[in-house]
Amino acid sequence: MSSDKPCEKGNGRRGFCKACIGAMTAASTAMVGYPVVSFVISQPSRIGEDKPLEVPIDQLTLGQARYEQWRGLQVIILATADGPMVFSASCPHLGCAVGWDTADSVFRCPCHGAVFTAQGEVVSGPVSDSLKQIPFEIKDGKIIITA
Amino acid sequence: MRLFQAIYGWFDRRYQVTPLIEKNVTHKRVPRTLGWAACFGGLSLLIFLVQVFTGMLLLMYYKPDPANAWDSVTFIKSNVSMGWLVQRIHTVSANLMIVMVLMHMARIAYYKVYRSPRELHWVSGVVLLMLTLVLAFTGYLLPWTQLSYWGAKVGTEIPGAIPVIGRDIVQWMRRGEAISGETLGFFFALHIWIIPATISAFMGMHFAMIRRTGISRPL
Ligand code: HEM
Ligand code: FES
Repeated sequence: MSSDKPCEKGNGRRGFCKACIGAMTAASTAMVGYPVVSFVISQPSRIGEDKPLEVPIDQLTLGQARYEQWRGLQVIILATADGPMVFSASCPHLGCAVGWDTADSVFRCPCHGAVFTAQGEVVSGPVSDSLKQIPFEIKDGKIIITA
Repeated sequence: MRLFQAIYGWFDRRYQVTPLIEKNVTHKRVPRTLGWAACFGGLSLLIFLVQVFTGMLLLMYYKPDPANAWDSVTFIKSNVSMGWLVQRIHTVSANLMIVMVLMHMARIAYYKVYRSPRELHWVSGVVLLMLTLVLAFTGYLLPWTQLSYWGAKVGTEIPGAIPVIGRDIVQWMRRGEAISGETLGFFFALHIWIIPATISAFMGMHFAMIRRTGISRPL
């Protein structure tokens, strides 16, 4: 029966058991904690951000816009009669995301009503700068944005 | 260790947690004759908690509409860090939960511990089994794969065999004639909120009843 008595100052069997439980707790915390934390801090917009953005031209429809995310930027690819155009969706006024209005063939900003042509030039609204164009190249039937 | 004890002690002096833990966990007495089969109820609960937790994680990236559901699940599995693990745990545990609940039920039936005064434990248990199955069924549609689609299609067809009201039940479950985005939205609501909340309530009742009657000892 003597072994059932609590030992002095955490030594002996009880201390050993406590140390084992502590180590196991620490190990399981790490085992659960690492996947959970790395899962939670992943950001969709940052995943694959070092890769160039590639969009096959045959997926575009004339007169319509396609929205993409690239390096944390919202990008609009517009298929015009003179070929594709690529813009940053960020409005040059205060940075809201502009959208393509297919019916009127203009870009509209939802925040303060700026309107831009299909070439990105200002039609009306509280802005003086055009929409920012993003350079791209066409290779193998794909639009490739690297810079 | 010292620091931990100091912090724990501070709370313990105010909220007296240690006596509670001793009474309900570390010094709790259970009949010596209870074997390993008595673990399955607890394991069902444990897996449910795992599902709640991994489900919350999946919800950070999942998109419940037909255009994005499949893409978002593929994204979780192949792009999100450790996403494959979280997704796999949630899928495998869904199956394990059903196994655990059935094993638990088998133990209760084998030892005949459903008898008076424990009839309502059994009744609430059957409700828990049903809810567990609905949870698995609704979750199966969410990745919006061919298997999901046909699973939901065939599953929701079953009540159609009921005379008179059968077709109405089918339509109610599908939110229309066919499996569509409406069905996905409905199953999503059931899967992440309605069923988990209901199952938690029934688990609460189940446990409270078991505390009331005490666990039975096999003869
Ligand atoms: C989500 C599902 C369920 C959970 C989490 C759960 C949980 C539990 C737990 C923790 C216990 C304590 C004893 C033990 O683990 O064996 C228990 C006892 C019991 N359960 Fe369940 N249970 C579930 C489903 C069911 C089902 C499907 C049935 C039967 C149809 C059932 C009938 C009972 C009965 C009769 C007892 C009393 C056993 C005794 O007093 O020895 N439960 N349940
Ligand atoms: S931010 Fe676009 S109009 Fe003001």
